[in-house]
Amino acid sequence: MLAVVVLLAVVVALLGVLVIGLLRSHAEILRRLHELGAGVYDERDEPETPGASDSPGTTGGRRRQRRAAVELRDQPDIRTREGVAEPRPLDTPAHDLVGTTPDGRVKAVGVVGVEHTTLLAFLSSGCGTCADFWRAFATGEADELPGYDTRLVVVTKGVEEESPAAVAQLAPTNHVTLMSSQAFADYGVPVSPYFILVDGPEGRIIGEGAAATWSQVINLMRQAASDATLAPGGTRRARTGRRGGGRLDGRAREARADEELLRAGITPGHPSLYPQRATADPSEGDQREGS
Amino acid sequence: MRIEGFGLRATTLRGWDAEIYRRDAEVAGVSAPAGPNPVDPPGGAAPAGGEPAAGDVVRRPAGQLQGARSETPTPILHLANFPLPPVRGDYGGGAVELMGRGGIFIALLEHDAAEAASALFRHSGIPWPLRERDFDPQQMQRTISGQAGCQRFFTHRDRAFCLYVVIGSYALRSVLVPEVNAALATVELD
Repeated sequence: MLAVVVLLAVVVALLGVLVIGLLRSHAEILRRLHELGAGVYDERDEPETPGASDSPGTTGGRRRQRRAAVELRDQPDIRTREGVAEPRPLDTPAHDLVGTTPDGRVKAVGVVGVEHTTLLAFLSSGCGTCADFWRAFATGEADELPGYDTRLVVVTKGVEEESPAAVAQLAPTNHVTLMSSQAFADYGVPVSPYFILVDGPEGRIIGEGAAATWSQVINLMRQAASDATLAPGGTRRARTGRRGGGRLDGRAREARADEELLRAGITPGHPSLYPQRATADPSEGDQREGS
Repeated sequence: MRIEGFGLRATTLRGWDAEIYRRDAEVAGVSAPAGPNPVDPPGGAAPAGGEPAAGDVVRRPAGQLQGARSETPTPILHLANFPLPPVRGDYGGGAVELMGRGGIFIALLEHDAAEAASALFRHSGIPWPLRERDFDPQQMQRTISGQAGCQRFFTHRDRAFCLYVVIGSYALRSVLVPEVNAALATVELD
């Protein structure tokens, strides 16, 4: 009899441990769901109609649960490593940049309407994660960039929020460093480091993200640049087959134009290239070409 | 985008770079760390642009050293329809070598006000719009194949300026000069 009682006590104890474990697991799941914005009690904070009492079991509650699931898919609460920026909540158009350099020069950088892609590196002089990027830029690791003829522009906040002397110490000599809080605002950059790849001819952002290391940024941007060679419908753009997987650079376009002109019989110095000069002084153009 | 500084203002055309700065850390007789500047032509009378090799002494047209500590630092405006490299000379050394046939580089350099009375700056008033015939490959001291330059010295409200423009292709001047003038039309001097 005693043995049976002891055995039952042991079984009850084991079952108790099991139930406690299940409850803890359930609580953890609920907590995670709550953090993701899909908690079962979240709808109580925002009733569908004033005065309505909703519960998960009601029609309105279930509708809100479905809506929460949709919102979860649309805007996931992505978590990043400490010190790494989260993705921007909203998409923004590309902008040209204006600001000052660390040595006090007033500078404007063309980003929209240029022939190349531009990689904007939004950094800070103080953040620890940014230090790796400053070092990578200073040591030339950023000289080979993804995209087409990509230009790297390092952007920090303006002199009202950053120390020009500190930025000057970190700024690479072979890339432009611009101090502009306006650029952070224009692109909606919440924190740094953050990277945005802009397609110049189309003036649109083709890739963006945050990373902890420069190699991660390179991978992100390489993927974005590769994706950007596809039109929205999935068909490859017409401008293909050249360097960089798509766009022609200045020299390539120049060569193509020369080929087409030669094919049409228009050689250097051809009068049709100088219609005004041909009427004003036909001989001058030829003399210039020889110089 | 509009930039402004040191009494100069400009609005960049689509896709253009621009910069306004003062080279106020130069020491007389030492070349600019950012690259070469034009030197006086032999004889010193005729204005000459160009891109001498790095290490050339920075000189003003009158033959004096530019950026000497005893003088007031003067502003410089650069405009370009290609990415301006961070390291370059006041007259575009280090930049014009990078530009293609469609490239345009514009430098507007203010000189010491005391020079405004000199013969070199006898032309008064804004010298633009420029004409196609103002450009000549020989206006570049160090010739770069295909490129052409134009240099003008002038005064504006008792301030002395030098305008130096390089186009990437002399053959394409009929296309490039209007673009030069469009960019210059946005420049304002106090």
